[in-house]
Amino acid sequence: MARHVKPLGGFELAAWFFMRISGLILVFLALGHLFITHILNNVENINYEFVSNRWAAPTTGVIWRLWDLTMINLAMLHGFNGLRQVLDEYIVRRSRRVLTHTLIWSAAIFLMGIGTYAIFMFEKDQKYIDQWKAERQQLVEAKLVAPEPLAK
Amino acid sequence: MPTTSTLKAPRVYRRGTWARFVEGLRYGGGLGQWSWLVHRVTGLGILLFLIIHVLDTFFVVAWPGLYDHTVGIYGGMVTGLPVTWGLNGYYWPLRWGFRIAELGLIACVLFHAINGVRVVLIDFWPRAVSIQRQLVWIVLGVFIAIMIPVTFIVIAALFSPPAHTMH
Repeated sequence: MARHVKPLGGFELAAWFFMRISGLILVFLALGHLFITHILNNVENINYEFVSNRWAAPTTGVIWRLWDLTMINLAMLHGFNGLRQVLDEYIVRRSRRVLTHTLIWSAAIFLMGIGTYAIFMFEKDQKYIDQWKAERQQLVEAKLVAPEPLAK
Repeated sequence: MPTTSTLKAPRVYRRGTWARFVEGLRYGGGLGQWSWLVHRVTGLGILLFLIIHVLDTFFVVAWPGLYDHTVGIYGGMVTGLPVTWGLNGYYWPLRWGFRIAELGLIACVLFHAINGVRVVLIDFWPRAVSIQRQLVWIVLGVFIAIMIPVTFIVIAALFSPPAHTMH
């Protein structure tokens, strides 16, 4: 019997289409995210203040939050569905599949939940930033750290 | 009629996970098999990183101090621990290790993305199968062309002082 790479119907066909469409969207979202955080910026300069400057920006904040919201949810579904497809090739017994699928979708829903919660509920904590800067200033005055963080 | 040179003894497949793994690598699928394997391994690696990345980004809301402590470690800097522990400070192996891992992550995502576009192209435009070998080489070429400048940019940062240099 020929092995169909593209499923013939049902959930598996929907998953097949989802993997391809979400993958194409993630090419732009994830590569753009990497380009901004690793090439345009330096990861060593990313901290609470950097994140709050993006998410809590007056006009562009909504765009960053929408970007991250779409990216995190598509990436989690794409990644965990990929893991399910890999494991299904090795785990055939029905009871074991029920177990792995339950674990996989629980983890996916949990991570999508906390990620979505973080993006919606974030509020800039200016008091924390001021306190962090004051502590850093003390270290600068004690000549323990350099006054300026690493330039781009 | 097949000549004797084309007649091979049927391969005996051994049982067991390790033997299956080795036989899988010896399977003569050529370029397509290797791009399939690398696509799969990079995908699983990215998922492992993403689980960590979603959890650490959750600290931005739940516990800002823990977020700065965590992302500081990525730059080789341990901060925010009780001073009496004497562990706060800069550790260069941490910084170098995370830099190399960062480059590996970028390589994984980049390859998975470009190779994924190839897969989608073949799936939605079946005539591309006729040039599928060339497509694999194009994927590799684009991947290497992008990775060369990216490697320079990411590694170059190691040769400037860290974000919070201890004097």
